[in-house]
Amino acid sequence: MSEMILDQTSQAELNSLVEERFGHEPEWSLKRRREAVHALLNLDWPRLERTPLKKRKLDQIALFQAVPAPGVRPTPAPDGWAEIWLDNNQVVSVSVPDTLSQKGVRLEALNEALGDPEVEAQLGRLLGQDEDKVAALNGALWQGGVFLRVPAHLREVVQVSIRCHATAEAQAVFSKNLIICGSESHVVVTQRLETDDGGMKTMLSENTEIIVEDGGRVDFGAIQQCAPTVEGFIHRSGALGHDAVLNWNIGEFGSGLVVSDHVSHLNEPGASTASTTVFFGAGSQHQDYSAKSYHHAPHTTSNMVARGVMKNKARSVFTGLTQIEAGAKGSDGRQKEQTLMLSGDARADAIPSLIIDERDVFAAHAASAGPIDRAAVFYLTSRGLSEAEAERMIVHGFLAPVIDSIALPELRDEVWDAVERKIRA
Amino acid sequence: MSTPVLEISDLHMRIDEKQILKGLTLTIKGGEIHAVMGPNGTGKTSLAQCLMGHPRYQITGGSVRLDGQDMLAMKPDERARHGLFLAMQYPSEISGVTTANFLRAAINARREDGSSISLKEFRDRLDEVMRYLDMDPKFANRYLNEGFSGGEKKRNEILQMLMLKPRIAILDEIDSGLDIDAIKVVSKGVNSLKGADFGALIITHYQRILDYVRPDFVHIMVDGTIVKSGGPELALELDKKGYEWVRTELAQSTNQA
Repeated sequence: MSEMILDQTSQAELNSLVEERFGHEPEWSLKRRREAVHALLNLDWPRLERTPLKKRKLDQIALFQAVPAPGVRPTPAPDGWAEIWLDNNQVVSVSVPDTLSQKGVRLEALNEALGDPEVEAQLGRLLGQDEDKVAALNGALWQGGVFLRVPAHLREVVQVSIRCHATAEAQAVFSKNLIICGSESHVVVTQRLETDDGGMKTMLSENTEIIVEDGGRVDFGAIQQCAPTVEGFIHRSGALGHDAVLNWNIGEFGSGLVVSDHVSHLNEPGASTASTTVFFGAGSQHQDYSAKSYHHAPHTTSNMVARGVMKNKARSVFTGLTQIEAGAKGSDGRQKEQTLMLSGDARADAIPSLIIDERDVFAAHAASAGPIDRAAVFYLTSRGLSEAEAERMIVHGFLAPVIDSIALPELRDEVWDAVERKIRA
Repeated sequence: MSTPVLEISDLHMRIDEKQILKGLTLTIKGGEIHAVMGPNGTGKTSLAQCLMGHPRYQITGGSVRLDGQDMLAMKPDERARHGLFLAMQYPSEISGVTTANFLRAAINARREDGSSISLKEFRDRLDEVMRYLDMDPKFANRYLNEGFSGGEKKRNEILQMLMLKPRIAILDEIDSGLDIDAIKVVSKGVNSLKGADFGALIITHYQRILDYVRPDFVHIMVDGTIVKSGGPELALELDKKGYEWVRTELAQSTNQA
């Protein structure tokens, strides 16, 4: 079974594979998996205007592989943090400080939480499984993930670290995460996605749904540093209640292909979201990002910022969408995307868009993509810096305002380290 | 350190298909201040940038040597590390890089590996030079040239020069767009380096700065070459008679020949 590849597999084979692996799950979950199997065979790969997937031969990947045994051994979490480690999509360690668990903070494997009616009710509401073949694969075969529940009215800020790692043997990593932050609580989540080098082509499909209840706040930070063999599809979506806040800090560095998006649904008045994306492509990486802010209610605000650097033959697309619906009066939606290209072979597109169906709003966008300023390089080299050092300095300067705005010091340092590695690579 | 010598010999240079320098010869030694004057569009800035090694210029003949070493074979950063400095007419704005961080990196780039300047030594020197140039200390933490006024950019070029202590400095229209007070400050900076181990080439369109930095030699450049050289009195004569005078005189001498 583990050698099965997509274009040689029947629905019956897939169904029995689902029964065999997930038969112990609650009926509602199993039913969704069966539905996804059915959808899977009729759906196409995602259609992305600037990211053709055909030649990437995704159906040649061993998508039905059973997950290999975990590799890394976790190290202890920082004091006061709740932390969960997943290796090859299996939870290898969870630690929640007593002070948090006593107040009802739950951090656990999503697979273990399927009996919870709240999970049944919320999972899959923001990210469906019939959009395309990747969504259906994830729906049918997701192996693991994280459930984080922060109860309402916690006084202290809850700090959570999610570490996802895959060994070189893993070729299919499908996961789901569900984060629910109760009313007037504040949770800071840092997710690290990494895979080992040296493996076969791997499909990574990661879905994260975030629900922020009235007056709650989620600061979600993520840094992705997967191997070049990874074909990654990373979807994140959040729903915000009254006066809720969802801040995204996304650092994208790894994977040969990455299709990544994060979406904020500002469902109730007063909700607000800010998103910062930093990306850096090198070699022949292809990165297709999008960020979307939907203003469904009055007096909602969104601010989206993205900065990226492309070197060698890397290629990026950043699509920003700010949509303000009719009736969402007094809303404020902004976006700004800037990309810097370090070589003539690199390519970056920044595609901002605003869809505004309400008059009484403020909306603005700005986008630019351009080569590194050769006059600036000459200026710096004329003072004795080598060309490489001059470029490094310009890239630093370009990314600094965005990276330094990341509130979490640990994540900020890791993003800087990742940038440094990419510059020198 | 020995007295520097920059020898520009029969230099020919072009951009794309356009010949800019047509056999320019000039020697600058330590202890000397040279001024190159000339009408706009005569190749003065191109000369400055090409001496520093800007990649857009194509050298088609001649040589540039600093202390006997072939500058044309070197990249801009190597030329800088050999002691050449160019104060630019239009310095680039570098977003996100503070003047202080940049200068510290530039100083360290000139040092042997493992002997970087200590933060304290650097800060002390920077404070001292900034005080000397009447600069607000806040400048050190502003992004390099970003949002600077024309005068602030020129002052910043001089600050860099004093911090990096070059052996030969080329100052490209360091006076353009400056009011008299700013010209005085800039001149004070240049004069402070005067000595046997420092030579300067001041490129200017105006005579005014030469009231404050007294040149030893004045050269008039027209159409990619030096057409007339003399002492400081030449600048005054030029100021009185204008560039038309040079053109007419040049035409006459060509006719006589």
